[in-house]
Amino acid sequence: MACAGTAPFLTETRTGGSLVHRLDARAKILGFIGFTVVVVTTPARAVWAFVLYAVVLAFLIGLARLPLMYVLKRALVVVPFVLVVAIFLPFFHKAGAGGYSLGGMRVSGEGLLVLWNAGAKAVLGVLSMIVLGSTTTFPDMVSGFERLRAPKVFILIVSFMYRYSFVFVEELRRMQRAMASRNYRARWLWNVPTLGHMLSALFLRSYGRGERVYVAMLSRGYEGTVRVLGGGRFGAADVAFLFVLLGAVVVIRVVSSL
Amino acid sequence: MHIPDGFVDVPTAVATGAVSLGVVACAVRKTSKNLGERTIPLLGATAAFIFAAQMLNFPVAGGTSGHFLGAILAVALLGPWAASIVMTVVLVVQALGMADGGVTAIGANVFNMGVLAVFAGFGLFYLLKKVLPRTRSGYLISFAVASWVSVILASAAASLELAISGTVPLSVALPAMVSVHMIIGLGEAVIATALVAAVLAARPDLVKSFDLPLETVRRAPGQLGMRLSGRARFWSFVVGALVVALALAVFVSPFASGSPDGLERVAADKGFETAATEQPVWRFSPLGDYQLPGLGNEKGATAVAGLVGTVVLFALVVLVGRVLGRRRVAAAPQTAGARPIPPPGRPSDRSGTS
Repeated sequence: MACAGTAPFLTETRTGGSLVHRLDARAKILGFIGFTVVVVTTPARAVWAFVLYAVVLAFLIGLARLPLMYVLKRALVVVPFVLVVAIFLPFFHKAGAGGYSLGGMRVSGEGLLVLWNAGAKAVLGVLSMIVLGSTTTFPDMVSGFERLRAPKVFILIVSFMYRYSFVFVEELRRMQRAMASRNYRARWLWNVPTLGHMLSALFLRSYGRGERVYVAMLSRGYEGTVRVLGGGRFGAADVAFLFVLLGAVVVIRVVSSL
Repeated sequence: MHIPDGFVDVPTAVATGAVSLGVVACAVRKTSKNLGERTIPLLGATAAFIFAAQMLNFPVAGGTSGHFLGAILAVALLGPWAASIVMTVVLVVQALGMADGGVTAIGANVFNMGVLAVFAGFGLFYLLKKVLPRTRSGYLISFAVASWVSVILASAAASLELAISGTVPLSVALPAMVSVHMIIGLGEAVIATALVAAVLAARPDLVKSFDLPLETVRRAPGQLGMRLSGRARFWSFVVGALVVALALAVFVSPFASGSPDGLERVAADKGFETAATEQPVWRFSPLGDYQLPGLGNEKGATAVAGLVGTVVLFALVVLVGRVLGRRRVAAAPQTAGARPIPPPGRPSDRSGTS
């Protein structure tokens, strides 16, 4: 999805003083991924369970003091996917006798269930990742994964990617601005070579800069790990958070399939 | 193409996740073994680049757009194992940091874009490099074709997974996804090829898969990839579009949904379908219901009908375009080639509209 505006990149509202922001990254990673996994395995017919999941998330969003409009705006990424499913519905689950009529198209109850299933789970999943992503700084997230024993290559690549992505995105924005200020807008497939040249220049320029950054790091004693002070402990609050969040959703999940 | 949560069911998510996990674990082992001094920054830079480039939507026509995938680009720069890791890293960061693509669908997304697109694309790239002449253009052509196919494969796999999960119907979703991505893949191929050509010209040491002597890529500075004149660009687009349309007509149309389209469905519901068949507007419609008469095989007949129809329609559009174009040229005789240079000191009548 395009997000070529002027909004800050990867850094919005990640530093805040709320309870959720202060939790250990490991607790949040496990908690929110666990939440999403449980939500996705919930049978779609248990509508009330999804309402309860949404309440849990809303509580967390409130606790983290995230601006509601910001959260909802970012959740819009799932809209095109849900629309695609909606478009296919009339071709898919042909309505028999007990169907519903939607503006001339007839859709079966089963078809609507498919739409509800995909839509509700996609929205809840996206919301939970938004809460995780907007309460955890990227370096915290990486060190969380490191201490959850993710493979070292991954950690190295991700931390370099994070460092370089600012260089790349800034460079890309600069080029897009230059393009826009000359009133150029690629509209047809044969404008694509222009974008190809632009991306080529972007890659070469940014890679050259990235290389210099790396050499500078090496000359300052970098040897594969970034040492951080403290690093944080997995305290009582983290245990409690994980226990309460996962406990609540597991209970909802178990009751929903009774 | 980033599948969100809830769109794949649990068995599909687990199966694709298991395959992806196995392949990526193998890739981690292979890559960790030979990590050179400059490997990690190149991996990180490629990941960051693909991450940034996937935010750049490119146009297909009018309003629709697709985004860059970059799997074969990573293969060309890093080899398939490292490419698979880089694509996985990008997908994981997108899912966790940007909420793009679901966490529980990560297995499926990695399978489509980080395993299938990477390894099938690599296989094709390798084969084509063997078959085609060992020159710079042979290399770039194999690269372009592999890029195009990798996008199509990833989209086909995504629609298969959604269909197996019961989220979309296969008979509609597969042709729709594949045909859209045949066009998106063209954009991908052009961008990625221009990029590799540029990197080859400036920094051939970064392109791991380039195994020809470096003299073959030293070209005049500043010349990146293709430079086509306006006319050549137009005709290459026309030919490309025709090839895609023909490929679509021949390969995809036979598998298109046999169920009636929206209008036919409504017609059947309201009971005026029979009226239509009894009184055809044009009695001797040569390709009735998109089938050629006299061909036994139904799918074959649909394909041939699609081929004929596409060629005829194409000829018609070119003809109409020429006629209309000529009229416009007649109305405005001063086009790009003969634009007068405004004398200095006098405000140009074109200012502000270019």
